[in-house]
Amino acid sequence: MRRQLPILIVFVSGVFMVIQYFIPHESFEFIYEYAMDWIIIIGIFAMLLGLWSLTRASVSKVQAKAPGWGFSVMTLVGLATMLFLGFYKGNKSIAEGTFFMDLFWYIYTPIQATMFSLLAFYIASAAYRAFRVRTVLATILLVTALIIMLRLIPLGPISGVNQWLASWILTVPNMAAKRAIWIGVGLGATATALKIIFGIERAYMGKD
Amino acid sequence: METIGIWIAALLTLGIFSFLYKDNPFYKFCESLFVGISAGYWFVTTFWQVFMPKLADNLIAGRFYYMIGAIFGVLMLLRLFPKIGWLSRWSLALVVGTTAGLYFTRYLVSNGMVQVQNTIIPLYVKGNLSQTIGNLVIVIGTFSGLIYFFFSKEHKGAFGGLAKLGIWFLMLSFGASFGYTVMSRMSLLIGRMDYLLGTWLGLIR
Amino acid sequence: MKKTKAVLFSILIILFFFNLSFPQENLSPLPPTEVRASDTPNDNGHSITVTWKLSGDDGADKKNVVAYEILRSDSPTGEFIVRGMVPAGNNTYQDRGAKEKEDKNYFHPHKDFYYKVRAKTLNSYSESEVAGPAQAYGEWFHLGKLPVFVGTVTFTIMVLAFISLARKGKEFYVRPLAGIDAVDDAIGRATEMGRPILYILGLGSAADIATIASFTILNRIAKKTAEHKTKIIVPCNDPIVMSVAQETVKAGYLDAGRPDMYKEENIFYLTSMQFAYVAAVNGIMLREQTATNFYLGKFYAESLILAETGSVAGSIQISGTDEIAQIPFFVAATDFTLIGEELYAASAYLGREPLLLGALKAQDLAKAIVMISLALGALAASFHLGFFLKLFTVQM
Repeated sequence: MRRQLPILIVFVSGVFMVIQYFIPHESFEFIYEYAMDWIIIIGIFAMLLGLWSLTRASVSKVQAKAPGWGFSVMTLVGLATMLFLGFYKGNKSIAEGTFFMDLFWYIYTPIQATMFSLLAFYIASAAYRAFRVRTVLATILLVTALIIMLRLIPLGPISGVNQWLASWILTVPNMAAKRAIWIGVGLGATATALKIIFGIERAYMGKD
Repeated sequence: METIGIWIAALLTLGIFSFLYKDNPFYKFCESLFVGISAGYWFVTTFWQVFMPKLADNLIAGRFYYMIGAIFGVLMLLRLFPKIGWLSRWSLALVVGTTAGLYFTRYLVSNGMVQVQNTIIPLYVKGNLSQTIGNLVIVIGTFSGLIYFFFSKEHKGAFGGLAKLGIWFLMLSFGASFGYTVMSRMSLLIGRMDYLLGTWLGLIR
Repeated sequence: MKKTKAVLFSILIILFFFNLSFPQENLSPLPPTEVRASDTPNDNGHSITVTWKLSGDDGADKKNVVAYEILRSDSPTGEFIVRGMVPAGNNTYQDRGAKEKEDKNYFHPHKDFYYKVRAKTLNSYSESEVAGPAQAYGEWFHLGKLPVFVGTVTFTIMVLAFISLARKGKEFYVRPLAGIDAVDDAIGRATEMGRPILYILGLGSAADIATIASFTILNRIAKKTAEHKTKIIVPCNDPIVMSVAQETVKAGYLDAGRPDMYKEENIFYLTSMQFAYVAAVNGIMLREQTATNFYLGKFYAESLILAETGSVAGSIQISGTDEIAQIPFFVAATDFTLIGEELYAASAYLGREPLLLGALKAQDLAKAIVMISLALGALAASFHLGFFLKLFTVQM
């Protein structure tokens, strides 16, 4: 019951989804749509598990006065504020112009945009790291990156050649390599999906 | 509100940037606030935008087959109770099984069939040398790239040579992606600088 | 006599020019002919396809047809309602409707419908004869997906066959993989330094195949960390992923015979928002001083932020993803990268389980088939043999 039934559920639902791909008939389409909705609903219920985990971890840090517990208080304050503001006026709580949305625009959005923009620094430091490696492979990577990067910048007499080379690299060897990766990933993913459906790969199920 | 908002946003922006120097209390403050706010935001918006229309509205409209999803959802929550926590595996099994089946055909088609289909190209194009060379390179590149991914044969001899060619193609492609992304990442930084110097300090317009 | 002829001829000429100089405003175009209506193949049963032969005035200088309207009725003599319109030059239309009975646009299957096609000029029109009756019905197999079906059956048989060979005790060789060989060293290093290991499953959901592959790897690594008595931290960005990761790690500790050492609080949820998650993981890396970081699963733009932070902190880093756009950043910023398919192979490598290795062999055989197909296909295409391409063409 504890192990066999879940494996059976995986098998039945997996085989059904593979079969429904080939069957256009509406009866299968309906079940497919329900199943997709059920998955979303399960995900929504699981959100509570997430909130529980975050809250419990933060609270226990505060209780134990662990190093940096004050920051856990900040997390809890942020979370509680959003939950309160998001529900206290029913479904009107998250309309544009509410305090809930103000917090979104003035706290959430700028931090998110800044985190994202850190990539500008990291892409440079990663390039430097690759530059220091000095192997054939790292050199191929860097030289190609340079050619592609410079395609938009005027380089005088070699501009035309560089632009031609950049577009050739993007459409020919780059495409070839990507296809090899895509095909490999396709085979790996389909094989893994089969192993899951047939219950061969089941580490994700845990043990008793 | 707007002025206060812009000040808060600008200070938080600086707080995150300070991480580039080193980890510090200012960053920790921004980080922990960000985690709390984002988790709350995500819960609230998912509740109003997904839970209500997908479950509550459907149940009110009498579509009771949505109850099945709700039951599986509740089973998922039983994880919180160690004695009956194993019941959550049923929900997990439904999620994993369904999507494994879904992804099986999806990967087979988009990563398998379609790629093979796109690579079936003539090796010789009459009167068009550059296309002939291009097609040859694509076929050779895909071919050698696949050889690199062989697991059950040692990369030795001619096979090893082809695998090496394959990894060269892969590196070329990685370099191309790398170079291609640089500009867009720079523009993100410019966007933040614009906020600090323009919207906040009004130094640039 | 001659005079009469000349007069008649003049009249004809005048009439002719007269005819030219006056626009034929109210002259309707030739109607579409050979209208046929039949069930749309390979569909769910709520559509009928109508075809016709273009009006003789489609593309003509005058009386030029600009569009066709498709009309439908329940009976040949009943009222016809416009169902759709296509521009001139087109000769098919799919009359499609909803499958939900409560939908306003519900298309009744197994019911007789009659169709007419109307050729329209800018100011006039003409209608074809009535075609039908036709009924819509759903099919039980999509013929356009036959190549996928063949692929599915073949690949499934291959995987199962190799797995059953493995079950019977056949051993398969797999070549060494640098990223995998590094795993043991990386765990050993963390143990020596007395620092924890960080395992990031990426941003995928528990249903993403890459995430599931990563769970299997996590299970193996957890077992090793339990044996080494090294702490493993798994911050998650999806609650279901967190739940599964807890089960997986716990199972690894059980496998190692150390269930007592398992600590659930080390596998926790942070937030589902991408960059908030990254901000927090960055903090964990620096504050916990993780010796080894694993990034295995689905990654997006955050890949480089994580990998660079870890790199600056001096951690050994092993990465792997099937997200093609992120592989370059992992290659540049981490010590070892499992590229694409290697991520899926890693679980088999680490566990050395014969069954999983068997599946790997099937993947290689499939790759060989793909390569042979590519070679044959390129040759066929060079000689303008189109049939080969059709073997791989999928209709959606």
